Amino acid sequence: MRAQYPDFEGHVERDGVQLGYEVFGSGDRTILLLPTWTIIHSRFWKMQVPYLSRHFRVITYDGPGNGRSDRVTDPERYTPAAYAEDAVAVLAECGAASAVVVGLSLGAAYGSMLASGFPDRVAALVMVGPSIPLTPPSPERSIIESNFMAPLSKEAKGWERYNIAYWHHDYRGFTEFFFSQCFNERHSTKAIEDSVGWADGADAEILEAEALAPSVSVDAWKRVLGDIQCPVLVIHGTEDRISPVGRGIAAARLTDGELVAMEGSGHIPNVRDPVRVNRILKDFIDRIADKESVAL
Amino acid sequence: MRAVEPDRTGVVDRDEVGIYYEVYENDGPTLLLIPPSPITHSRIFKGQIPFLSRHYRLVTMDGRGNGKSGRPTVPASHTRAENVADAVSVMDASDTAQAVVVAHCHANWWAVELAAAQPDRVLGLVSIEPGVPYLGRSQPHWVQANERWEEVLEDPQGWELSNRHAIVTRHRDWVEFFFASQLVEPHSTKQWEDAVGWALESTGEVLVAGEEGPDRDAPTNEEFEGLCRSLGVAVLVIHGDQDVCQHVDRGRAFAELTGGELLVMEGSGHLALARDPVKVNRTIKDFVDRTLEVPTMKKSQTWTRALDRHKKALYISSPIGLGHARRDLAIAQELKALQPDLEIEWLAQHPVTTVLERAGETIHPASRWLASESGHIASEASGHDLHCFQALRSMDEILLANFMIFQEVLEEGNHDLVLGDEAWDIDHFWHENPELKQGSHVWMTDFVGYLPMPDGGEREAYLTADYNAEMIEHIARFPRIRDRAIFVGNSDDIYPDVFGPNLPKIKDWTEDHFEFAGYITGFTPPSPDEAEAWRAEVGFGEDEKVCVVTVGGSGVGRDLLEKVIAAYPLAKEEMPELRMIAVAGPRIDPESLPTHPGLEVHGYVDRLYRHLSVCDLAVVQGGLTTTMELAAANRPFLYFPLRNHFEQNFHVRHRLDQYGAGRHMAYADTSVDDLATAIGNEIGRKVNYRPVETDGAARAARMIAELI
Repeated sequence: MRAQYPDFEGHVERDGVQLGYEVFGSGDRTILLLPTWTIIHSRFWKMQVPYLSRHFRVITYDGPGNGRSDRVTDPERYTPAAYAEDAVAVLAECGAASAVVVGLSLGAAYGSMLASGFPDRVAALVMVGPSIPLTPPSPERSIIESNFMAPLSKEAKGWERYNIAYWHHDYRGFTEFFFSQCFNERHSTKAIEDSVGWADGADAEILEAEALAPSVSVDAWKRVLGDIQCPVLVIHGTEDRISPVGRGIAAARLTDGELVAMEGSGHIPNVRDPVRVNRILKDFIDRIADKESVAL
Repeated sequence: MRAVEPDRTGVVDRDEVGIYYEVYENDGPTLLLIPPSPITHSRIFKGQIPFLSRHYRLVTMDGRGNGKSGRPTVPASHTRAENVADAVSVMDASDTAQAVVVAHCHANWWAVELAAAQPDRVLGLVSIEPGVPYLGRSQPHWVQANERWEEVLEDPQGWELSNRHAIVTRHRDWVEFFFASQLVEPHSTKQWEDAVGWALESTGEVLVAGEEGPDRDAPTNEEFEGLCRSLGVAVLVIHGDQDVCQHVDRGRAFAELTGGELLVMEGSGHLALARDPVKVNRTIKDFVDRTLEVPTMKKSQTWTRALDRHKKALYISSPIGLGHARRDLAIAQELKALQPDLEIEWLAQHPVTTVLERAGETIHPASRWLASESGHIASEASGHDLHCFQALRSMDEILLANFMIFQEVLEEGNHDLVLGDEAWDIDHFWHENPELKQGSHVWMTDFVGYLPMPDGGEREAYLTADYNAEMIEHIARFPRIRDRAIFVGNSDDIYPDVFGPNLPKIKDWTEDHFEFAGYITGFTPPSPDEAEAWRAEVGFGEDEKVCVVTVGGSGVGRDLLEKVIAAYPLAKEEMPELRMIAVAGPRIDPESLPTHPGLEVHGYVDRLYRHLSVCDLAVVQGGLTTTMELAAANRPFLYFPLRNHFEQNFHVRHRLDQYGAGRHMAYADTSVDDLATAIGNEIGRKVNYRPVETDGAARAARMIAELI
């Protein structure tokens, strides 16, 4: 059973793709919890929704490829710009002029694109473990670049499994490894099981399509972040094995944002240390609201 | 002693009436504190100033008619307009372009007028127990008294004293009654004494003029409500629901009209700012920071996952004297042996820091903010006299200032454990604000129970009982505040008395509420064989008779030092082999003491216990640490409790009697000749005291270690 069920759920169609969204609570302030890499769907916000929706109106939705959204195999639907368009469509469908936007990992990249491209829609941006290539990947992950398209090796171990052929060969073997790296904190069994289960909502073909989406250059990302005018908060685990903490530090610097370093945390602290993350979010959103009321 | 002194003061001349103000500089935004004069002056904010001045620039003023301001006696000098103009003048004179105004009682009326007249200069209003006209409800006793304000009453009582004649002829009666009525909270003796004292700095004539003046140019009800409605600044109202001066409905109405926030303090009276200062201080800061958008969070911060955290303790060692420092160091060392990964930080002040720095301990940087407790104690001493209970009472402002620092350190550091060795501030204010407690708390002390000195009479017996009763009630109601209570000693050491009339026996209650660690000397006394080596080490000759004189670390002992030094030539005449070593301690300049041939005067002596352990005689005050070091080392000694020091005269003396140790002498009754004779009689005498335990620190450490 979920701790909290949506007050409203529906689909919005954008450019022929159905996106499933859910709305919780009824506060004056809207919080949009963005999708992340489509390997998982919106349930990864399960530790935030019940708490935040007591204080705010919370919208979650699944991106293309997982959850209650269409299983899209067109790479063009997986660009950060396309995700930003999706978010705008969901906000419009829910009648929200603007929202505090929260994104995890790749979701932080989508949120940045949204905040720079549609500044009126974003009152503030929170990036959790932003997966934006502002610094080089960790040494363990550097193999991906050369190995990603390599022919299948059934004996692939570790980050060698980050390989299209391997995904088609042993999708579950990849997701189990991947989430063990996301949740490198001790005693994370439940978090890993959850995510591996949500990953079954997608498949190798979808991940392949997402991976083939046209990428954004590092310089372009720096411009995107530099363009963001709204208040920004970055939360980043110092032990993040997916996206090193240096990226979060750089993102905070480029956006003149606040930074909370979570010492000992991995890539998904909102699942693994939800109490702290929830309170940080609430505090940040409340302070934004104070500023706005002073400005009025 | 005050907890903090202003950076500058000034008097602004307002048509022959001087208005006194103080400035506490700080880079932050300015707060202007306006007291309700002439009934009181700026000292009413003494609980707020040390805390607020760490975060903001403060300007305080004495309103006309009290404090260091002028005392006009005609109502025409106490109008609304004059009072508001005073505040404006103080802002101008103190170079204050803009400020958040903090006002108490009727000073809120001036604050409202000030904000209306100078809207660009007032950024917000913290309105404590607002005594503004018309709004809400008036207290019926004021209404009744006002009806007979002009009458000459025969023997007025209670609220009838609020009468233009009675206030003059029975000024003290009125002031005492008024503040006794306001302090509805139990155990408010100190706040009452303070408030009455400040009120009595003015006169009845001034008070009457202060009552009548504002009526001369008062706005109508409609005008005033209109003013409140259009105020246009953020308002916070703090109001006790038991306020006998200003009905809480007045605060409610004021908050509603101004669109302000409201904190109702249940159970609080009109002086909540003095009686529950911790809550009031934190509420003010929260409001000011939100209103002015002061960044309360560092732009970049780190939070550490629970299981990745190091074990951390914050140790607070009472700085009154040096005794606590060494025993706490001994406990800390034993604790680290049991818990090698425990990191201990000390929130400590001089002279404790002297000992800690030598031992290489980690002193928390916030320690530099602490107001000096030993400085206060020294300032309360006069000659060989220290009224220790009254000195602790008058330290209220310093204890509060230091508690506020402690709490901030703890909230930032997330310590697992708080170790307080007679850290009165933490124990008291956590019991008063139990929601602030964090981490496990160990309370340690070597005495329980305030005891009245005979000279203090009935009043002091009442006060000590009241303080004891408050402590007993605190612990009964909030047993969770002390996770361990450790008595440094044994149950027989407890003074055989009661806490006061109708209160329990100290011994019974302490046995129920404490664990006993045994005494903690912080060192192991030498065996007879070792003693010879120690003697050589500290440079005592075999044929010398060495008398060591020490007065501890607090700086109170100058008179005793001088008397012993005066006795030295007489004793030396009788005993040529006599050598005297006087230790002035870190707070007395050795150069300032008289000299004699053969007399050595030192400042601080590292590990003085070594000298004490092998001397032939010691002459000391009645402090527990030094006398017990001598008891443990089995040395003869003369001890002189400070006059009026209840702990030295009752608790310590009783404990020494348990060990059969030392010879008690009264300073006032001992002439220089007597002292020389006593030195001659006692020096080198074979003594055989009951052994002092040597495992106290280890026992205490084991009790503490269970918590982490």
